[in-house]
Amino acid sequence: MRDLAAYLAAFVADPVVTRALGAALSVVLFAGAWQKLRDRELFQAALDNYRLLPDALLRPAAILLPAWEIAAGALLLSAQSRVAGAGLAAALLLVVTGAVAINLWRGRRDFDCGCGGLSSHVGEQTLSWGLVGRNVLLLAALALSLGEDNARLLVSIDYLSVAGATLALLGLYVSSNQLMANHPRLQALRNY
Amino acid sequence: MSEALVVSNIILWLVVLALLVAVLALTRQIGILYERVAPMGALMLDQGPKVGEPAPQFSLDTLAGGSIVVGGPGRSRSQLLFFLSPTCPVCKKLLPVLKSISASERQWLDLVFASDGDRPEHVEFYRKAGLGDFPYLLSTALGMAFKVGRLPYAVLIGEDGRVRAKGLVNSREQLESLFAAKELGVASVQEFIDQRT
Repeated sequence: MRDLAAYLAAFVADPVVTRALGAALSVVLFAGAWQKLRDRELFQAALDNYRLLPDALLRPAAILLPAWEIAAGALLLSAQSRVAGAGLAAALLLVVTGAVAINLWRGRRDFDCGCGGLSSHVGEQTLSWGLVGRNVLLLAALALSLGEDNARLLVSIDYLSVAGATLALLGLYVSSNQLMANHPRLQALRNY
Repeated sequence: MSEALVVSNIILWLVVLALLVAVLALTRQIGILYERVAPMGALMLDQGPKVGEPAPQFSLDTLAGGSIVVGGPGRSRSQLLFFLSPTCPVCKKLLPVLKSISASERQWLDLVFASDGDRPEHVEFYRKAGLGDFPYLLSTALGMAFKVGRLPYAVLIGEDGRVRAKGLVNSREQLESLFAAKELGVASVQEFIDQRT
């Protein structure tokens, strides 16, 4: 049993795992920022739906949040700044997840989360505890991406593994967003 | 031996990624399917009064306290019914465009906003969005009559009380295409192109 735990710990600290997680998280952050900056008015209206900020702060927040995403995503990419990037990304995730949770407690859930990026092609994604769970998983991935153990030398096939795993993680992320967006539509059908 | 493992690894990655693409496509298609078969889904967009048919007539109270008549024969002006919701970001983005259209087409067009749901939320939205110059209707029956599925949705009713153009509008261009469709006397710009070819 102790052997299994040791193997598992060694596996999640392997550079292939941590680098694939870091790269996938960077792409998620960059894609989110790009989408939000491309149509800032739309993102501002989405922020307004959360009813957490006074009107005067909506416009600055609509610029600050994507800028924060870009900074976190960029810092995550390099080994030297990885800790700072993960800190920024974690703080951002806590802020936005808090905003979602507050609205769920208030009973306000029938509006698009405005998440953008890799969840923007799924149609309307309304607020749900699934969204909170997704962000908790992203936080866990951030933590894992920091625990790299440099004991092993990387060989050529490792780069294939990193590339494959990064793409696979992104594919899984988009698929789960789509499934989350589908859920309320299925619910509406069942209740009909 | 290790070369064989590298080859098998590459093959497996390619298969995994190809399968993920397939899963993505399938979940997307399931989402679209759910939406289409829903009672008020996108498939319904083609239903409701057709272009050229008389629009159903409604006499409704506005949020500001007056009352207006939607549709019906013998009108002197056209009406643009704009269906929206306070939580729809695209609707909010289109409000300035609608206000400018309403100002430039003042001679012949009345702009009417329509929605349904809790009154206090709409009163706050009406005030905050500065829609005081326009009638704002809260009526589930109106949306049902025009089979409004997704928002923002617009219906153009001519002076004769007939539906002149209608559809989902996501941009200024789509709004303007409603007027183009009215001037050409066709249901949509697409139909106009089809007639010409």
